[in-house]
Amino acid sequence: MNASSLRSWFTPKRIPAVVAGILGVVVIGVILANSDQTQAIVLGLGGGALIAAIALSITLNYQGSGVVNFAAGAIAMYGGYVYYGLRVNGQLFLPPIPNPLAPIEGIAHLAGAASFSLPHIPVFITLAHPSQGTAAFGTFIQQPAMPVWAALLISVMVLAVMGLAFHFLIFRPLRRAPVLAKVVASVGLFIVMQAVIVLRFTSSAKSVEPILPTKPIRMPRGVSLPSDQMYLVLIVIAVTIGLWALFRFTRFGLATRAASENEKGALVLGYSPDFLAGVNWVASTVLAGCFGILAAPINQSIDPITITLLIVPALAAALLARFSSFVVTLAAGLGIGMLTSWIQLVSNKSWFPKANGSAIPGLADALPFVIIIVVLVLRGKSLPTRGSIETIKLPFAPRSKGSFPTTMILGIATIGLLFLVTPNWRLAIVNSLVGMVICLSLVVLTGYVGQISLMQMALAGISGFTLSKVADAHHIPFPIGPLLGAVVAVIVGLLAGVPALRVRGVNLAVVTFAAAVTIENLVFANPAWSGLQGASVRSPSLFGFRFGPNDAWTKPFGGGKGLLPNPWFGVFCVVVVMVLVLAVVNIRRSRIGRHMLAVRSNERAAAAAGVSVSGTKVLAFGVAAFIAGIGGALSGYRFGSVTAGYFGAIPSMIFLAYAYLGGISSVSGAMVGGIIVAGGILTTIFTNWLHISEQYTLLLAGIGLIIMAIQNPKGVAGAIRDGVHLVQRRRASTSDVSDSAIPEPVEATV
Amino acid sequence: MAMLSISGLSVSFGGKRAVDDFNLEVGAGSLVGLIGPNGAGKTTTIDAITGFVPSQGAVDFDGTDISGLSSTMRARAGLGRTWQSSELFDDLTVMENLQVASERVDVRGFLRDLFRPRNDDVSELTKILDSLDLAGSADALPTDLSHGQRKLVGVARALAAQPKVLCMDEPAAGLDTVESQALGRRIRSLVDGGLSVLLIDHDMGLVLTICDYLYVLDFGQLIAEGTPAQIRADSKVITAYLGERHSDDHGDEHGVDTAVPAAPGGTPAVGGTTDG
Repeated sequence: MNASSLRSWFTPKRIPAVVAGILGVVVIGVILANSDQTQAIVLGLGGGALIAAIALSITLNYQGSGVVNFAAGAIAMYGGYVYYGLRVNGQLFLPPIPNPLAPIEGIAHLAGAASFSLPHIPVFITLAHPSQGTAAFGTFIQQPAMPVWAALLISVMVLAVMGLAFHFLIFRPLRRAPVLAKVVASVGLFIVMQAVIVLRFTSSAKSVEPILPTKPIRMPRGVSLPSDQMYLVLIVIAVTIGLWALFRFTRFGLATRAASENEKGALVLGYSPDFLAGVNWVASTVLAGCFGILAAPINQSIDPITITLLIVPALAAALLARFSSFVVTLAAGLGIGMLTSWIQLVSNKSWFPKANGSAIPGLADALPFVIIIVVLVLRGKSLPTRGSIETIKLPFAPRSKGSFPTTMILGIATIGLLFLVTPNWRLAIVNSLVGMVICLSLVVLTGYVGQISLMQMALAGISGFTLSKVADAHHIPFPIGPLLGAVVAVIVGLLAGVPALRVRGVNLAVVTFAAAVTIENLVFANPAWSGLQGASVRSPSLFGFRFGPNDAWTKPFGGGKGLLPNPWFGVFCVVVVMVLVLAVVNIRRSRIGRHMLAVRSNERAAAAAGVSVSGTKVLAFGVAAFIAGIGGALSGYRFGSVTAGYFGAIPSMIFLAYAYLGGISSVSGAMVGGIIVAGGILTTIFTNWLHISEQYTLLLAGIGLIIMAIQNPKGVAGAIRDGVHLVQRRRASTSDVSDSAIPEPVEATV
Repeated sequence: MAMLSISGLSVSFGGKRAVDDFNLEVGAGSLVGLIGPNGAGKTTTIDAITGFVPSQGAVDFDGTDISGLSSTMRARAGLGRTWQSSELFDDLTVMENLQVASERVDVRGFLRDLFRPRNDDVSELTKILDSLDLAGSADALPTDLSHGQRKLVGVARALAAQPKVLCMDEPAAGLDTVESQALGRRIRSLVDGGLSVLLIDHDMGLVLTICDYLYVLDFGQLIAEGTPAQIRADSKVITAYLGERHSDDHGDEHGVDTAVPAAPGGTPAVGGTTDG
């Protein structure tokens, strides 16, 4: 068989079969090899069942409403907590509902009035009281407050209501929205659910008791499997068969399948696409949530991260099944679970790659990323085909005029402020400046070229870790160290970005998110780099002048030691932001910016106009990675260290939220994005003036993101721009958004 | 001499042959029409020539085989195209749309632009806009233009790249008769200025009037070729267009007719006189 006949045989349609075949061969081979590996594979079944269930939920959503739901893992995790709260405490927790009276308290406090309390919206609804039973040896053991069946029943009802709410409040208004808006809304949902759980239960793990019976089941060759995992597998198989039959044999399933192709298809069958989407949202939410409840006991505990991040292997499974076949989704989910478990076992073997004497962590987590990359790249095309309407409608990217004087004035004003304000405000300004840099990188990549990236913070982290582990370790001096970090970020960004040239729209978001998870697990959590404690970053100095945030400084006028943080570090950040702002403005005003926007608006037409679509994207990935890398170095200096938790997948998602909220396609939007980052100027206003806890920042960012996705794709900066236009010219904005109403800025809505 | 010549061109979509073993030539400075009923494979032919669908067969452009090149490289070599639905860059102004096509990006220029963006010379592009009566729309966004103007911007953008051969996919679709005739005169004058054009259109009056030579496709097969006069008289063409069923219903958009009016409104009737 020569190369060309192999290529013609290896069509995209065969990829699932080929990958499943490879997985199958590996699994069988290993099972035949020895029994402890068989044991590991079998123990992956429970996790695989959960992955499969989340993947089925993603597929249902996609079939029902065309949304690739990044929050499916978060929904499973949320379900687990709903059950936990009911079963253990007898309480149904409520998501934080904005209390209209809270700002009054804040303002009253600001005005110096004695602190007084206005009525609060309840946090929990108590349905049953835990009884304190006395166990042996006189220790008190809290008895569960609610029987299992009642907690399960109420959880299912809560999940169903949530599914309805997601449909009616978020995704129904978005049903004709561009891909990016749907991705952004589901990212917003992800952030909101995670933030709610952290607010209500803290981020530490809670131990959970088994729900399903856990007798070990003996199998041949000395292998055994706890029965709860077996039940989980049986349940997920039953659900899959049920879904398969539902979609195969009922008019409802037929109509959903028709609607996923064409909304009119469902109408012909007498169903409203809206109804179908709603039902599918309820089904998918209940499905994911229930498996979160049932599968949490496998790890004996539940925390806000672990199940949430199963979204990555679940997306891999759903992609393998092309978001359509339930049976392939099931097989892929179980397979990934088993393979992951197997890799974890063999990581103890002597031949496994090592770092500092211990096995490289995160290789098991890299597996889904590899699957995603292989599937999407092989299936992808470097240009979209005729008739595939994968348009990403992004907000208008204005050509700024007079940005040089504006930047100068704002920059000098900020420098002045840095020396005048109190330390906590100085810190807030610095945090915002660092945030602006990351947002600027998203403006180039997502705003100008339309490539959704959920890995920018991971790239920033690559730079930060390079600064700490390479530059500092080899005594590379200041200006070269961060630049070296940024260059390494560019290399990694291109490594992840080049395969992504054949992937667009929501699939690119999937690839970059998987890349971020992989970088986080493989690099940041790698003991050779940092472990979880982080790695220190030496403060920057130029010609012997140290200007790190924690370096002592003397007041320029009047002398005397000033309070930390050192404002000169802020000055340095201001200069960096000014340089980058002008560069990004210049990108928009020059040839490359026009080419980027041409690619963003129509890849085929851009190619026909002689634009190198791949070249433009590569350049954008590189430039964005460089800017993110500078941001990573700045945050390394800012904290004096780099940690795995600060960079990585979820922070990358959150930063997309900030950038989108600020206004993803303009430099002024990045400025607003920086102002609203956690620990930045806006949150400092919240905490210092309005007395809203900083914990709410993420929640507000998530909610703001969803509102922004639905209401106003231009972001806060765009809304302000529109307002100015309206006042100045008294005429409708000339932008691409057709609705006439100018939505109000988001500050007013949250 | 042929500027563009394709031989044995075939395109398949999942086993179905959209274009089958098609040969076509566009001579230097000539205006060649490609016509056929809906689904005949006309747009697919242009997609194949410009590299947007994988195809078999040779595509010779200006003396070299370009069938291995990407669509971007074909465009840069001087093979331009316009689109049935304009496909303008809606995020850019009309002038910026043209600039995208006329300007190349290289790494050095990019790095210089980061610090001091060039003021790119747009005088040539202004001339193109002037020649298409679009001078006043240079700073408008495509979404603010009428359908006819958008079509013209599409043509202007293709011309901005200074192509040697221009493939035009239904430039007159959606235009009214007056606009369509004006467009025809402009295309003709471009060809008289030395440009080679491959033109697809449904407006038979337009195609038969301005083209030098015509190819007729039906179901991916060439059913006729020749000068407009020969095509007018070809019985296979008439059957393909009108079909048996529609023989008494030829007032519609496909209203080809043996009695197509020659040269309405003073358009030079070049069609039948040129020798193929």
